[in-house]
Amino acid sequence: MTIADAVTDAIQTVLRDTAREVRAIEPSMLLATDLGLDSLDLAQTVVLLERSLGVDPFRSAPTTGPRPGIRTVSDLISIYTAASRTP
Amino acid sequence: MTPATIANLADAPAQDRLAAAICLIADKVPDRTAIVVDAGSDTRRAIDYAALAAAVRKLEAELDTLRPMGVVARARNVDSLIVIAAACGRQHVPVAFLPEDARDLIGELAEWVPLDDSLVVPPGAAEGLPRGEFASVPAQVVVATSGTSGPPKLVEHSWDSLLAAARLAEQWHGLGWLLVYDATRWAGIQVWLQAVLTAGRLVQPASRNPDVVARGVADEQVSILPSTPTLLRRLITSADRGLLARMRIDRITLGGEAVDAHLLEQTKSLFPGVRISHVYATTELGEVFRVTDGEAGFPADWLGRPLPGGVRLSMRRDGELLVQLSRDTAEVATGDLVEKRGSRYEFTGRRSDVIVVGGAKVYPRRVEELLRSVPGVAEARVYGLPSAITGELVAAEIVVADALPEPATPDNVRSAALAVCRERLEPQSVPRVLDIAKRIATTSAGKVPRRSL
Repeated sequence: MTIADAVTDAIQTVLRDTAREVRAIEPSMLLATDLGLDSLDLAQTVVLLERSLGVDPFRSAPTTGPRPGIRTVSDLISIYTAASRTP
Repeated sequence: MTPATIANLADAPAQDRLAAAICLIADKVPDRTAIVVDAGSDTRRAIDYAALAAAVRKLEAELDTLRPMGVVARARNVDSLIVIAAACGRQHVPVAFLPEDARDLIGELAEWVPLDDSLVVPPGAAEGLPRGEFASVPAQVVVATSGTSGPPKLVEHSWDSLLAAARLAEQWHGLGWLLVYDATRWAGIQVWLQAVLTAGRLVQPASRNPDVVARGVADEQVSILPSTPTLLRRLITSADRGLLARMRIDRITLGGEAVDAHLLEQTKSLFPGVRISHVYATTELGEVFRVTDGEAGFPADWLGRPLPGGVRLSMRRDGELLVQLSRDTAEVATGDLVEKRGSRYEFTGRRSDVIVVGGAKVYPRRVEELLRSVPGVAEARVYGLPSAITGELVAAEIVVADALPEPATPDNVRSAALAVCRERLEPQSVPRVLDIAKRIATTSAGKVPRRSL
């Protein structure tokens, strides 16, 4: 499974668990505006990705909300790609 | 065995009572079974009162010769623990009980002599130690707290406080008692003291597996079942129906955790006529009060008026229950949160269990109770998962009932549980991780752990 697939899976699981419409995920989509993800949804996504990818890039630098730099699905894919490279 | 002889034990000094009871019962009914260990399994072993009394007398003779400063009971078998307690008590030697997770604390008792299941004081162990002056040393018992609210610590008790809750009246004589608690902890010690002081039969199952427990209870004619709500829930939701039907339970005594109305209803329908009480006790305070009406929580009018024994309960503005044992003692904050619901105060959880999600408080007990009310959910545990984004996140695991009505599947049950939570809870309280587990892990004290494992 590629990192992009894992991110897509995680977001779709969040949508399904919260009884929202499960839709196709595009890298260009805005997490908040297009997908309606709030900070709880993002926190759940991070937990799901830690289970599937074995890393939590947010844990090393704790923040209290979605980072300004992470706005789109592709931002999320990038940060996990970077985290997976560093041992 | 005349009732009067047991009741007269209350006149003996507290530290002598356990040894005196064992020897007295052994004289009258030597072959009566005192303890059954590994009940419900092929390795079942029974110990009668004569054997117990002989072991107590032998150890007393050794302690009398060697006079150690104190004894750390490191035995694994409950019969050995009882012998150590009885002999140390009557010989005025302080004794400490250390469960596995409190073994680190042994450093605090470095000069005490360890005693294992061989019940032999190690040669030379007491050499060079100041010889305790007989009868002038205050006889004491050291017990570790369960660590529910922080790391385990040692708490010192007098024999009087240890025996304060024991009931010696005739109606309690010769009964079968289940021991599912860790025998080295306060709750477990209370059960074996009560059983042995009243010429009863202490039954310890070979494991906490629900079928093993149920078989032990049925085969050994256990009539009194002291348990945590978690262990009782596991027993009645998971044990073989045939074994449960063979159990003849008169009384269930719950403690260690708060009891919810759903579990009380399930228990009453499974064992019609059973008397259920729940005990509110802590290792530090001992037994504070006992609720015997079979309902959850305690009557609201108990707050602010003296209860039997002089105990006073009050509530801090934030809902924390405060206890004053008597007029002369300080008020103690219990860490337990209560909330008024109708004519009762019900426990909502422990202060330290509160999960903080994005600054909002979530009470895991409430979420657990809701999950357990979902058809098909047998057990549930709710805990906080650390999150860099929201501080913590509510996570849960559920055990799905063995017999699901067709065409339900475990996944259906999970979806239904999430739907109920979404409908009934605030967004931050809805579990964001909901796993299906084969069973819920419990702590050695028989409680549900609250932090991620």
